Amino acid sequence: MPACGTDVRVSRPPHIQVSGLSKHFRVSRREAGLVAAMRAVFRREWDTVRAVEEVSFRVTAGERVALLGPNGAGKTTTLKMLAGLLHPTAGELTVAGYTPAAREASFLRSIALVMGQKRQLSWDLPALDTFELNRVVYGVSHSDYRQRLDEMTELLDLAHVVSRPVRQLSLGERMKCELVAALLHRPKVIFLDEPTLGMDVTMQLKIRHFIRDYNERYGATVILTSHYMGDVAALCSRVLLIADGELRFDGDIDELVKSVRPVKRVSVTIPDKRHRVGMSEYGMVVQREERVVLDVERGKVSDVIAHLLSREGVRDLEVTDPPLEEVLREVFERRRV
Amino acid sequence: MVPRVAAAMWRFGIAEAVAYRASMFVWVLATCFPLVSLALWSYLAEEGPIGGYDRGGFVTYFVAAFLIRQLTSAWVCWDLTRQIRLGELDALLLRPAHPVLHHMMSNFAALPMRAFMALPLGVGVLIFAGGGDPVAWGDVLRTLPTLALAWGIVFSIQLAVACLAFWLTSATSLYEAWLAVHLVLSGYLLPTSLFPERFAEVIRVLPFHAALGFPVEVLTGRLTHGAYVEGIGLQCFWVACFSVLAAFSWRRGLTRYGSVGA
Repeated sequence: MPACGTDVRVSRPPHIQVSGLSKHFRVSRREAGLVAAMRAVFRREWDTVRAVEEVSFRVTAGERVALLGPNGAGKTTTLKMLAGLLHPTAGELTVAGYTPAAREASFLRSIALVMGQKRQLSWDLPALDTFELNRVVYGVSHSDYRQRLDEMTELLDLAHVVSRPVRQLSLGERMKCELVAALLHRPKVIFLDEPTLGMDVTMQLKIRHFIRDYNERYGATVILTSHYMGDVAALCSRVLLIADGELRFDGDIDELVKSVRPVKRVSVTIPDKRHRVGMSEYGMVVQREERVVLDVERGKVSDVIAHLLSREGVRDLEVTDPPLEEVLREVFERRRV
Repeated sequence: MVPRVAAAMWRFGIAEAVAYRASMFVWVLATCFPLVSLALWSYLAEEGPIGGYDRGGFVTYFVAAFLIRQLTSAWVCWDLTRQIRLGELDALLLRPAHPVLHHMMSNFAALPMRAFMALPLGVGVLIFAGGGDPVAWGDVLRTLPTLALAWGIVFSIQLAVACLAFWLTSATSLYEAWLAVHLVLSGYLLPTSLFPERFAEVIRVLPFHAALGFPVEVLTGRLTHGAYVEGIGLQCFWVACFSVLAAFSWRRGLTRYGSVGA
């Protein structure tokens, strides 16, 4: 894998600049049981959790970057420091020229943080009430508000739900309303933490499309964390890979895939079982059913394609990169060894 | 900008208060203890005045205590503590408006709804109890600033305690301990003038009395002008003390905020 901190877009000024960023939490610890509970009353033991450790990266304006890592890697903590919710233990960071922890009003007007598991909408009021409150709080004019609200409710197909109490909306509808509430003031930097969590495929696609469209229209910088590789592949060309609080990779998705799995995935349909023999000569067989899937060394792909196409009973040939889920799983498993 | 934002938060708070009207009615009923005290003390006063209160005096005092308790209520301690512990403060911290302003307006906005529910109850009790001593309009007007300051004391002490949630697991327990003392020393269960004289002198300079007993005594016309001015001064002092304490805890606490939850 390439060295961490590789700046792939040094020609443009950074919109987000992070240098040696660390966040340590002091957490209490005790064994299970009554005796341990009583002992903890008089003597507490503490651990220091190094959630983020000396992370450095730069993001230019308008980029869409994915922050990836296993659970507890430090992704959300990093995102919260970028949004000014958490004060860093060490290091420096600027977002759009501001120090996030200072929480200046002009900084807060230029960012949005959307978290899949948290909400800003009032549970028992219609989403429109929160939109109107945000309009005043962010100083959006009536005409801009009307125009942006119409635009977003149309894009997200929300017109029929914004007047209902939030508690009566489905998860997907709620998340779409959260997006509207977060973007009404047209932020220049958007932090998205698992924005499609728990949603069905249709809803995921709609939200991905919406985020991409917002980024392209307004040139907003997007930093995304997601466990759905579909989100990452559809939205971001650059990934920051975090594990154990440390930045392990910074670069293009293609570069990551190539470095971890220097193979191409070749898939063919071979309905007749007799024609599937000898497939392991071409590469590693991942699946040997009617659809045969092979991982083939990149340098040999054209030869393998030629051979496969010359074989009897072979059709529907397709060449892709290995799925991002598999690549990341491999990265995280290597880490554990 | 701030007045416009405060007004928008106030409108939003009213909408929430209307949405939670059933809960609010229960809270109003849960704080009607002065009406229980009314039954007890007015019965005891049938044989003659106690500490300057005759039967009608007790009726007026406790109905006034009940109403003023409703109009000076706040719950920022419970809301903010929960937000700090569960990381729900994030949503407020991300807005370019101070989270305390949000709580202030949200608590303040519920007062009209609370008054709307409590007033008929208070009037009903007054009629049922056979009427109390009359209240002068002048005293009603003199009570208004004391009400605002009493609310300021309740809100700022709750805020100061809630900010301890940045360090403590259960800051609300501390406020509940404060409430226990408040019940006895504020004039909620009995007028503070009924305590032994030297003890009453001490009680009357404490924030508990300033937050309830003092406005009740102003409304019931039991204070001289000098005592009124002195009481207002004391209220201002307590509001300032607790506000400074809350501001300090807030600023220090925010650097420790864990923003828990994904």
